Amino acid sequence: MRSRTRTVSMYGAIVLAVVIALFPIWWMIVTSFKQPVDIYSGVSLVPQHFTMDNYAELFRDRHFGSYLGNSLVVVALSVGISLAVGTLGAYALTRSTIGERIRRLSLVGALVVRMVPPILLAIPLYIVLGKLGLLDTKLGLIFVYAGLNVSLVVWMMESYLGEIPPEIEEAALVDGDTPLSALRRIVLPLAAPGMVATAIFSVIVTYNEFLLALSFTSTPNSQTITVGVSTLIGKIQIEWGPMAAAGVIGAVPIIVFALLVQRHFVRGLTLGAIK
Amino acid sequence: MAGEAISVQGRARVAERAIAAGSPYLLIAPALLFMAAVSVYPLFYGVRASLAEYKYGRELGFQGLDNYRRVLADDVFWQAMYVTLRFVLIAVTLETILGVALAVLLSRDLRFAGLIRTGLIIPMTVAPVVVGIVWRLIYASDVGIVNPLFRVAGLTPPDVLSHGTSAFLGLVAVDVWEWTPLIMLIVLAGLHGLPREPIEGARVDGASELRVFFDHTLPLVRPVLLVAIILRTIDAIGTFDQVFVLTKGGPGTSTQLIAIYGYNTAFRFSQYGQASAMMLLVLVGMSVLLVAAIRTIRGAAKKATGAA
Repeated sequence: MRSRTRTVSMYGAIVLAVVIALFPIWWMIVTSFKQPVDIYSGVSLVPQHFTMDNYAELFRDRHFGSYLGNSLVVVALSVGISLAVGTLGAYALTRSTIGERIRRLSLVGALVVRMVPPILLAIPLYIVLGKLGLLDTKLGLIFVYAGLNVSLVVWMMESYLGEIPPEIEEAALVDGDTPLSALRRIVLPLAAPGMVATAIFSVIVTYNEFLLALSFTSTPNSQTITVGVSTLIGKIQIEWGPMAAAGVIGAVPIIVFALLVQRHFVRGLTLGAIK
Repeated sequence: MAGEAISVQGRARVAERAIAAGSPYLLIAPALLFMAAVSVYPLFYGVRASLAEYKYGRELGFQGLDNYRRVLADDVFWQAMYVTLRFVLIAVTLETILGVALAVLLSRDLRFAGLIRTGLIIPMTVAPVVVGIVWRLIYASDVGIVNPLFRVAGLTPPDVLSHGTSAFLGLVAVDVWEWTPLIMLIVLAGLHGLPREPIEGARVDGASELRVFFDHTLPLVRPVLLVAIILRTIDAIGTFDQVFVLTKGGPGTSTQLIAIYGYNTAFRFSQYGQASAMMLLVLVGMSVLLVAAIRTIRGAAKKATGAA
């Protein structure tokens, strides 16, 4: 009897937690498909009259096509660059021939870059980008995100590559591979799952980034989706429907993405401290 | 046979030496350059800017430590620091308690455990800006859900974002909603690698669940939990996006976290010098935390790799 009450209360607590976790997101999704009249007509957990108008308005009048395009370009290029640069760097760090000093410096440096709150970097970077004429350009954002992502890639790939037994690679070198061809032919295929996880994690972080994009861009030519989402706020009267739709567009691609790599999530979020 | 093995090793050594000539340094150089370009360089620039005078966003020359003096004498700065400290302490404490509790619950052999876990981690995958939107829609006084809930319960609708205290608590709730899953997930991963015998043994001996938790489970997950708490604390100090969307720091200065105040000082009032000085002071204040983070994370990462 006692154990049954316990089971029931345990499941009760879990159900409550799941509802609290998911209901707010459900509320946003529902609101995004409601007509204005219905949004104001009291609490309803499903759209009374289903409409796509809110979404249409975002793409028609509010540049959401270009925000999404900008995000795509910025994310793809910055993640691509940082993966290439960062993986090569991480590979160098796993080799016994590199000095311990530079190894420590690189790894600690990567951690610090990753952890310093973005607002601390935003102000000086803004001045620097201004001097280079890169404010309000996609190039400026790509440059900044690539730099920040390199730290993530170096840190994560060092741990993935470090798990590959050095004997395998040494055997390849004996067979006449150069270090780079050994990396390409032997090491990278083995580290591929780690690299995919790192790439996806970088995509999530970059797509979701807001503060730097907000500070460095000012027109729809270069603003990303998160900045686009924030443009729906702060007008005299908030249009709830389009705002909810903007939120859905800003969130859904990444939710799907993140759930696909759940397994690697902890490792990315804790910077490899926990697998 | 033995001679052959030596010659193979010898050849390997020759190859190693060829790479040692500089190749690993060449490989790490671009990565270091990229990282330095977005950290070391701006940091130096930040120090420079903190010593300069700006008017309407234009640099007028150096003025020594005036910016630091101004920041330290600024009540709003201290107010923002105080709000941030309170926010971080309350939010991270709640997240730790709830996250550990959920992890312990989920570590049981539950039906649908995978599905439940997936559902619970969704909040932290949502972009922080969108988290702001989500809760704007929950808290809104006209179209939201909090006011109707209070009305149903026969209470006065609170208009969460219109009053200082409730706006602050509302913000804490948002952070707890978003980041409790992180602690849960990390602790869950830690629980996964634990030996079950001592815990089962204690249960068999008739120890209460709470006893088992405090005597056996908690000490074992402590290292993992520490990583989670330090990371979460550092991130919470920099909280910006959700506040920007929800309250912009108001009403008054009740939710003005240090990141918001820094942003306003730099980008709304173009006081780059003062903003830089402010952020450098915050960085100095955080450095203890950063060092602790590096120690624990590097240590844990090494152990994790070693164990694998």
